[in-house]
Amino acid sequence: MRVILESKVRAKPNLPIEAEAIIPRNFLKGTDLVVYEGNKERTLSELFWIFVEGTAVAPENIEVILKGDTSRIKRVGEYMDTGSIVIEGDIGMHCGNFMSGGTIEIRGNADSWLGREMRGGTILCRGNAGHYCATGYRGEKKGMQGGKVEVSGNTGDFCAEYLAGGTVHIHGSAGDFPGVEMRGGELIIEGDATRPCGNMKSGTCVILGTVHDMLPTFEKIERRVLPAWKITADVYRGDVANRGKGTLCVRC
Amino acid sequence: MIEHDVVCPFCGCLCDDLEIETEGGRIVKVQNGCALAESTFMNDVRLPAPIRRTETGWEDISYQEAIKETAEILQGADRPLLYGWSSTHGEAQSVGVHIAELIGAVIDNTSTVCHGPSILAIQEVGHPGCTLGQVKNRADVIIYWGCNPVEAHPRHMSRYTTYATGFFVPDAQRERTVIVVDTRRTDTAGIADEFVQIEHGGDYAVLSALRAIVRGKASVIPAKVAGVSKEQLIRIAEICKTAKFGAIFFGLGLTMSRGKYKNIRNAIELTDELNRYTKFVISPLRGHGNVYGSNEVFTWMTGYPFAVDFARGIAFYNPGETTAVDILRRGECDAALIVASDPGANFPRAAAAHLAKIPTIVIDPHVNATTALSRIHIPCTAAGIDAAGTAYRMDGVPIRLKKVIDRGYPDDAEILKKIYDHLNGGKGP
Ligand code: SF4
Repeated sequence: MRVILESKVRAKPNLPIEAEAIIPRNFLKGTDLVVYEGNKERTLSELFWIFVEGTAVAPENIEVILKGDTSRIKRVGEYMDTGSIVIEGDIGMHCGNFMSGGTIEIRGNADSWLGREMRGGTILCRGNAGHYCATGYRGEKKGMQGGKVEVSGNTGDFCAEYLAGGTVHIHGSAGDFPGVEMRGGELIIEGDATRPCGNMKSGTCVILGTVHDMLPTFEKIERRVLPAWKITADVYRGDVANRGKGTLCVRC
Repeated sequence: MIEHDVVCPFCGCLCDDLEIETEGGRIVKVQNGCALAESTFMNDVRLPAPIRRTETGWEDISYQEAIKETAEILQGADRPLLYGWSSTHGEAQSVGVHIAELIGAVIDNTSTVCHGPSILAIQEVGHPGCTLGQVKNRADVIIYWGCNPVEAHPRHMSRYTTYATGFFVPDAQRERTVIVVDTRRTDTAGIADEFVQIEHGGDYAVLSALRAIVRGKASVIPAKVAGVSKEQLIRIAEICKTAKFGAIFFGLGLTMSRGKYKNIRNAIELTDELNRYTKFVISPLRGHGNVYGSNEVFTWMTGYPFAVDFARGIAFYNPGETTAVDILRRGECDAALIVASDPGANFPRAAAAHLAKIPTIVIDPHVNATTALSRIHIPCTAAGIDAAGTAYRMDGVPIRLKKVIDRGYPDDAEILKKIYDHLNGGKGP
């Protein structure tokens, strides 16, 4: 089954919409869902043109497609566990929060907190992602714990903060402090990064581009060939400021 | 008439030993205060009456009319923003939170542009702090990091640190070691025993290096970290470890430079590390008189210290998303109420510009840069001058602000209560 949601033109296009109801499972019972625009409650049909093609008996066979101006829509795919969502343009904050299964594909850019506290499933962002891509909530001790986030473009600052499990793969560059407070999982940055892995405890980070302002508290262990990436890299252990046993590999 | 033990409401020190002489309802003399205190009490030029913008300029309106129009604007908004709160008393702040909850607004205070990052760091790793009285009586090592108290908190050093005689530090000037860390040589640096000059944005690296050194991992640290030599870092670590009681104070140089809350977190973790050797504490040097109070009031009412979004009826908090600057910059909000602060002067231009595009109401005793962006300005009392109320000092100690004179203005808490009544069909909070 395919559910196509095309955003309607709004009088105040900058108002954020919170739409955690948009997950494949919810469309099994129909399209009578509630979303929020600013401080007002709205039905899905007030904000979207809805087209449903075919039927489905199980949520994993449901594909939700978002079209139009979706850049201010937050929380799409929150707590999603199965099925798929395709966003043809940009998506707002908190896309794929707490996601545990299924796939989300974003053809445009994603705003901040993409895949926050994710547990499983796959997010593919073909454009750039904002700050706090694949992280946790404020003050939370664990960020993303499982699954995969792949970003074709660049990310903002604090990418994969508190990463605890799963894989984050950034094809472009990351901003300031990628992998800060990392405690598990794997972070791959094909482009450049500034001050990576501050205060990391555990986990692995591989950077293929240039590292700016490398922190002074990483201990160089060896120079090694990484066959998976076909490169030679300097391998660091850290962050020694906190007895960290994380691995940071930087191409040399 | 001379009023004793008056509290200065200007900065987070809330000095409570001022003597103020009044004559016929006017303040004629301020004693004990610093220059900032004097100008707060003496150059207190107010807006005489509520004003509303017209096509060509401004017109005077009655309080009743101003309150009614404000309530109508807020009622009709889909994403109202209530911002400011740091220069007024807790009584007004609490009514503000009630209004936010009633109308599904976002309420934020000036922490968002000063010590918000400190709060985020504290939420991650806690706050090993203490009151200023303890610092005064016990601390023999004082670190000022990214702040310039000589100019911004002029009496901090004389009341609590460098020049203050304490119970266990009777000869303060000789017994207290003062370390100043900054990117430039400030006036405060001039009186430091040890001045550490860091390259711009290098605070995080220096803090990490200090943590590693304190942990006995000096061998990993390169010869120079962000412009600071390894020898100096080792010397500083040694001074800290051998202190009887150390206190770190930090300011906007640390919270608002590159890395923001991660800098503070690193400083807190350095403090934590030092506590394996001696007693060490860390505290932010809060700017506005009662900005700490706004964090306290917001927290006991909503659970969160700033940037609280009531759009969904419950409190949601996520700095970066629900902070005033971000909401304005993204052009989200469609009405704003600014109380006791001046975002027009200190917000980034794009954020301030949005205030001019939407109906903005200012409740503040003085005409300021935000007035120029607003539709209505309602003057009120100034807390600590012609209104009494509760404020919190930078170390979290509540202090009662006094009413020194009466200038005939209504209290901002009263104005806000009337707005609430309007919004709630006549029923108060
Ligand atoms: S240090 Fe601050 S509180 Fe004390 S008198 Fe000066 S401005 Fe007022």
